[in-house]
Amino acid sequence: MAEVNRRDFLSGLGVTVGTALTALPGVLPSVGVAHAQDKPKGNIPDTPFKIGHMTFFTGAAAVLGEPMYKGQLLAAEEINAQGGLLGKRKIEILKADENAGTDANVKELRRLKLSEKIDFFCGITSSGNTPALGPVAEELKVLTIFVDGCTDFLFDKAVPNPHYIFRITNMQSADGVTGAVAAAMTWPRTKRIAHIHPDYSYGRNAFDHFRIVMKKMVPGAETVSEAWPKLGTTDFSSHITKTIAAKPDLLAISVWGGDYVAFYKQALRYGMFDKMHVASMIAFGVAPHAIGKDHPEGIIAGVHSNYHFTYPGGDKWPYNKTFVEKYHKRFNEYPNFQAEGGYTATYMLKTAIDKANHLAGGWPEDDAIISVLEGLMMAAPAGYVYIRPDNHQGYKDAITGFSKNVAEYPFPILDPNRIITIPIRNITAPPGWPKGEPTSTYTWIDKTWPQVAMAAEPAKAPGAARPATPAPAKKQ
Amino acid sequence: MSTVTTVVIPARSPIRRLWYAAPVLAVLLVLPWVAEQYQTILLAYGLVMAIAAIGFNLLLGYTGLLSFGHSAYFGVGAYAVALMVKYLGVVSMELHLLGAIAASVLVTAIFGIACVRYTRIFFSILTMALSQVLWSLAFKFFWVTGGTDGLRVPTPTLLGVVTGKGDKTAFLVHQYYYYVLGVFLVCVAIMWVIVNSPFGRALQAIRDNETRAQFVGIPIWRYRWVAFMLSGVFTGVAGALWVPLNGLTTPDILHWTFSGKIVFMAVLGGFRTFVGPIVGAVVYNYLESYAVGYTVYWQLFLGVILVVLVLSLPTGIVGTAERLMARRRGPR
Repeated sequence: MAEVNRRDFLSGLGVTVGTALTALPGVLPSVGVAHAQDKPKGNIPDTPFKIGHMTFFTGAAAVLGEPMYKGQLLAAEEINAQGGLLGKRKIEILKADENAGTDANVKELRRLKLSEKIDFFCGITSSGNTPALGPVAEELKVLTIFVDGCTDFLFDKAVPNPHYIFRITNMQSADGVTGAVAAAMTWPRTKRIAHIHPDYSYGRNAFDHFRIVMKKMVPGAETVSEAWPKLGTTDFSSHITKTIAAKPDLLAISVWGGDYVAFYKQALRYGMFDKMHVASMIAFGVAPHAIGKDHPEGIIAGVHSNYHFTYPGGDKWPYNKTFVEKYHKRFNEYPNFQAEGGYTATYMLKTAIDKANHLAGGWPEDDAIISVLEGLMMAAPAGYVYIRPDNHQGYKDAITGFSKNVAEYPFPILDPNRIITIPIRNITAPPGWPKGEPTSTYTWIDKTWPQVAMAAEPAKAPGAARPATPAPAKKQ
Repeated sequence: MSTVTTVVIPARSPIRRLWYAAPVLAVLLVLPWVAEQYQTILLAYGLVMAIAAIGFNLLLGYTGLLSFGHSAYFGVGAYAVALMVKYLGVVSMELHLLGAIAASVLVTAIFGIACVRYTRIFFSILTMALSQVLWSLAFKFFWVTGGTDGLRVPTPTLLGVVTGKGDKTAFLVHQYYYYVLGVFLVCVAIMWVIVNSPFGRALQAIRDNETRAQFVGIPIWRYRWVAFMLSGVFTGVAGALWVPLNGLTTPDILHWTFSGKIVFMAVLGGFRTFVGPIVGAVVYNYLESYAVGYTVYWQLFLGVILVVLVLSLPTGIVGTAERLMARRRGPR
């Protein structure tokens, strides 16, 4: 493949730094905004519409996962204030704790559908759980929008032809890719990369995709250290000292939730952030108030490539402004990407029900709702969200940025002047791309992305030793 | 354990006991036709765990060894099935069960050699450590085991004819429930024979007084080793039966906390009786499922139950019930 220089590569990816928004088509459905909507057609029952919502209400993951419940609750309260779905059916949310373990979650989903007779299932944070629950939701025939649990594995392999299940937040591979693109454009002279990832499918996914992108964009950079703390670890000292000892100039990290909070506090004590650049996939994925002002500034603080409540900021994107205001008023805190996901998922469902009713009248069958959801695009707080019909996966432009303390908030946010956005189309495998190992996006990047030429950078230390071909990524 | 004198339950003939079991069996048989689907599925889970619990109790209740590593054999049974599906494409449930039995015999034979030389806390710690080894293997060798994603297992074929294609829920509630019930009854019958055989009596002798048992001429280690294997095989069978209910295997079932659940079940039902673990497993399964469903404080709820249980009902549900019944019948 022809080699290109990095600047051309980045502009080819459509990466923007700062703020750029396209015009808003008037007909697009949007969240939380009262539309001049037609009266529902036909007979609508007034039985409550039951939603089963499962996320982490306990444990270290709750600080990242629980806001998705709050997002859904806020949307449900807004919809109920207008009379409910189609003006008749009030939403009732049944909570379930994802922390009970995969097997208990499977049982609980069965209980929700068979015993509580839920109409809709929503939630899920961990990518260890969607591959277990997705097939069960299909077999129970329960309409489902997963908010997260975004492993590529779900629609690549576990449920390759979904019917009842959808997922709203970006595919996991976008996370590692976004983090790596941001790191490559910010610190192009990186030579030595260290990795710290949670030891399960999410961490390995981030590791694989970060590596393949760095191989393409920063040739010659080598992996000098790998640390794999178990999910739920609170003591990172051995991983931190090991990483520092390897003398990397860049750390890629995808530790998340309460684990990340513990990590950065411990890393501060070792002066880790002064010794290397840090690119995190999901540091600011937690509820914003969980991160303290002691968090270092200027690191790439990923938001799971989905959403940070400060972007799009100001009056540029009213859906976000009003969502953040309403959320803050209701819960006295700021939303994270999960809150946005839960909120948007609820409005996507509402939109699909409205449209299906408009077409056929009465309370729509699940199949009618599904066919509207397939290919639906909406203006959500995070921007446009599109549900791809072939894999039922939600796509929105990926974002990340740099941590910064500002006076307005008691916690760090993403530097508003340096937000990085990437069109999602340019970093995920297109429809029809063959299923690959470890993921379709991985093989797509490997086969179709150009290779940045090694000499593209201004000459620096001559003779820097680098392997001719980087080591192949681990097979899953 | 060996210092506590067992409450002597007046021996009744097995035939008399069957009379007590008959109404329970009748309820189990008609349940799928009267209860809602979820209740039947939950009971299927309970019966599967009951098989694991009676296996576990052969060691705790009858041999006096507290294993904290029975998750290992449950997991071996489950992963044996998943790997047979993944690498050999086997879909027959009977072959799954045979594979799970073979795999758990192999693993328990090896683990047993290491474990049965010790008793009390040393035995417990050793079994737990070995189960954690299997857990980390399942966790780390993700290209074989799927890591935390686990391995998906499609619906198996029962007796070579029932396929479960179509509505999986209906399959679980009817065909598969009866299949589990059948295997459960066979397991209970076999375990009943084991514990009432001379071999079972010898195990109880070892439990009550190791030194005396040795003097009588019982080869203690070998008997413990065989008991260890039998115990593991029952638990492995339960693991294999559990897979179609859950739909996939994950390392969760190999983790020591899962062993803790099995211990909890035996203690809850009463490990000094034959039926105690069965009742404990079914009841625990309901407790856990409903606690998770109704409150986010489910862990606290289960913890409180465990504390209350140990403090006020040390003989478990069945032990307490038997004592109450004996009291009502008046002093003998």
